[in-house]
Amino acid sequence: MQKTRKGLTPGLIAIVGFLTVCPVVMLILGSFSEGLNAFGTFTLSKYVKAYTDPAFAEILVNTAVFTIGSAIVSTVLALFLAYLNTRTNIPFKFMFRIISLIPMMVPHILFAVSWVLLLNPSNGMINLFLRQVFGWEGAALNIYTLQGMILVEGLLDLPIAYLVIAPAMSAFDVSLEESSKVCGASNLRTLVRITLPVLRPAILAAATLVIVRSLASFAVPSVIGMPGRIYVLATHIYRVVATGYVTDYGMAAAVGMSALAASITLIFLYRHLTREGEKYVTVSSRGYRPSVIDLKGARYPLFGIVALLSFVLIVLPVLVLFYTSVVPYSMVPSAKAFAMMSWKHWIAVLKDPVSLLSLKNSLYLGVGGATLGMILSFFVAYVIVKVRTKAAGFLESLSFLSFSFPGIVVGIGFMWFFVQTPLYATIWALLIGYIATYLPYGIRPLTSAFVQIHSNLEESSRVCGGGPFYTMRRIVIPLLIPGIVSGWILMATMFVRELSLSVVLSRPGTEVLAVQILRFAEDGLWGRLSALGILMIFISTTLVIIASRIGAKLTKVDK
Amino acid sequence: MEISIKGLNKNYYSEGKTIVALDQVDLTIPANRIFTLLGPSGCGKTTLLRCIVGLEMPDSGEIAIGDEVVFSTEKGIYVPPDRRGLGMVFQTYAIWPHMNVFDNVAYPLQTRNEPREEIVRKVAKTLHFVQLDGFEKRPATKLSGGQQQRVALARALIAEPKVILFDEPLSNLDAKLREETRKELRAFLTELKITAVYVTHDRIEALSLSDTVAVMKSGRIIELGTPRGIYFDSDRRFVADFIGRANFIEGKVASVGNGETTVDSAIGAIACEKKINASPGAAVTVCIRPEFIRVLKGDHKVGRNIFRGRVESLVFVGDAYEGEIRVGETLLIFRIEPTTAVREGEEIALHFDPRHCSILLN
Repeated sequence: MQKTRKGLTPGLIAIVGFLTVCPVVMLILGSFSEGLNAFGTFTLSKYVKAYTDPAFAEILVNTAVFTIGSAIVSTVLALFLAYLNTRTNIPFKFMFRIISLIPMMVPHILFAVSWVLLLNPSNGMINLFLRQVFGWEGAALNIYTLQGMILVEGLLDLPIAYLVIAPAMSAFDVSLEESSKVCGASNLRTLVRITLPVLRPAILAAATLVIVRSLASFAVPSVIGMPGRIYVLATHIYRVVATGYVTDYGMAAAVGMSALAASITLIFLYRHLTREGEKYVTVSSRGYRPSVIDLKGARYPLFGIVALLSFVLIVLPVLVLFYTSVVPYSMVPSAKAFAMMSWKHWIAVLKDPVSLLSLKNSLYLGVGGATLGMILSFFVAYVIVKVRTKAAGFLESLSFLSFSFPGIVVGIGFMWFFVQTPLYATIWALLIGYIATYLPYGIRPLTSAFVQIHSNLEESSRVCGGGPFYTMRRIVIPLLIPGIVSGWILMATMFVRELSLSVVLSRPGTEVLAVQILRFAEDGLWGRLSALGILMIFISTTLVIIASRIGAKLTKVDK
Repeated sequence: MEISIKGLNKNYYSEGKTIVALDQVDLTIPANRIFTLLGPSGCGKTTLLRCIVGLEMPDSGEIAIGDEVVFSTEKGIYVPPDRRGLGMVFQTYAIWPHMNVFDNVAYPLQTRNEPREEIVRKVAKTLHFVQLDGFEKRPATKLSGGQQQRVALARALIAEPKVILFDEPLSNLDAKLREETRKELRAFLTELKITAVYVTHDRIEALSLSDTVAVMKSGRIIELGTPRGIYFDSDRRFVADFIGRANFIEGKVASVGNGETTVDSAIGAIACEKKINASPGAAVTVCIRPEFIRVLKGDHKVGRNIFRGRVESLVFVGDAYEGEIRVGETLLIFRIEPTTAVREGEEIALHFDPRHCSILLN
């Protein structure tokens, strides 16, 4: 046992180190190289070209406005929701769980597309409706703007912000507020002077995390930003390597370096803030249940807002997509529209070889990638939690490094690597890239599951006569199943909808669902896009249901 | 089975510092008795237990259980815990939450691949022994603390080990349940012919449960004896202090003779009837437990082992009064009947029972 443990750590450090450091190193080397075929020839020209581009300043401003704007939208909404859930008697509290979890299942690209279908200036459904009913000329509402991007990205990142703020809110010691009121402060003064300052670390942490996410976001900037010619860093990189004039991976790498640097800085800030937040929480009194504020007459109107939000976040995208997939062209729902409904787009998608290939590839990557990813995560989590040497601590930092990497930047880094290997343009390139980028999502649930297994549980089995492998089989793995299942689900659903990395690494023959959907969006084939999108949601949901069924069956105590 | 331990050493390294957990421990644990390792936290008692069971690897030394050497640095022997055939009850009970009571208890037999019907029979018998008849199908996590404790005991007993080890098994129970379980455990263990090694930091548990107590400090066994012997006759201040509440009075031996030693101290001459190898003039400490200080009513003159003092504080704790008396500059703790009429601030006379005044060498 002791010997295998000693061999395990360096092996894992080598694997994880390769996965996380390789793209960064290749990105750095690539940014100083002439081109994909001239790797290793040192030049500064790419940096000069990238950062002296007159359009670059505007891109930076757009990026800043977009990321900070999204952070404000999602943090404010998350604060509002978390407050209602933890501190008031708002009805149907289960809705909050749904809001915080389900949107993760609707792929970002589809969510963005559904807003385009509703609000694009030429034939968005709401615009068409306004034209027909009020006879307004042109486009009343235009989604292809920076504001539109911020709104959609803000809604998409709302669950992330909520998951950071809600625990802090429920750990909040209400006696802090009560003593402020006893001292004579009004409700508003208490909110401004006490509540918000105490929650500040959590609020800032949520906002920072959303900035990191929106900086890495590719779906919204590509589906909503690019048609409106609003470029941010991610789409700028994409434009350099994938569209228009000659592709330039060197320049893309040079631009990517600043996105990477910004991300890493922000993640350090986030870690610092969460540590600060924990300091605050320990101050609160033990076992205290916050008193609930009676909303009285405002209960149902406020609930209405929550219901509307969940409708907009969960039901609307699916409805819009399904509707679009069965009508021949964009039109407002009407008797005429219903009469014209057909499965035309569905049949077209199911006959389209590229769409079918992308379905197959994504399914393989989802199931196979998540399984391989969980096997790796299992060993990494085991070393992090149970071995606890200095090397294990190093492995922990290493494995969480990729959490801060924007997918498209990692993609560029891997591109520089894969071109030098026979893996280029194979599905293995995608598989390796996926696991490297999303490894933290697999390790997280497993480390917390491992932490819960008190070492006495294993030791007891040893004393009872169970050898190391018998103990692993009968005690450790069964206790880990909930962690394994949730990690697998998280990884599989992320792989099925992966876009930002795939957009760089996917080549003819290795198309995946999200990339195919982006192609449909670029060509304006909304009907086919919607049909394929519904299939994508269906696959994710099926994977989730099957995995949790298996998990429930395996963890049942009484056989 | 007898357990014999020779020259056991174990160090831990943490943040560049060396912590001595076991320091040249030699010990023989007698067969079929209840043996307790007692000591404050960090004294090495749990490390010693974990070395016996095989969860911890000593740096050097030898451990034999019965005739079998299970660990020896000299002979290069290390038998892993799963081959030592022992039973153990952990502080956390270590009940596996994903199994029901049956599987938890049956586990040691399952690892030995015993036939199914044999396992069913033995589980029923063992559960009956720990008074959990019919609990087989219950999920283990749905049990109370006391019931979980019994499941852990049943699991440790089912394979009929010759030695069973306990690592502070009662510390997670509330006070009343702890007392009941302690009595039950004593009954269970005396009924079985089994060597029990019990680790605790609770002196009442150690005194009430054990046949033999070993007091540990800083990785060493500093005293070994029966509970009565340790409580009454220890000549080490650390042991006397750890095993119960006590007053310590510094002094000098004045005279020795007639089965009585007289010690000159700050509060006067104290007569002690305990045997001691100290010659006149030696600096010693007199130890007297609070329950052996009697309060004398009435106007007693200062006499043999009678002192006068003022009651500084008095606390009613239900079954007694506990308080402090100041005699000269010395503050003594005492414990008296709850019905005694004594008030705070009162001048009283007190008497030390000479049979219970022990002399500790400095």
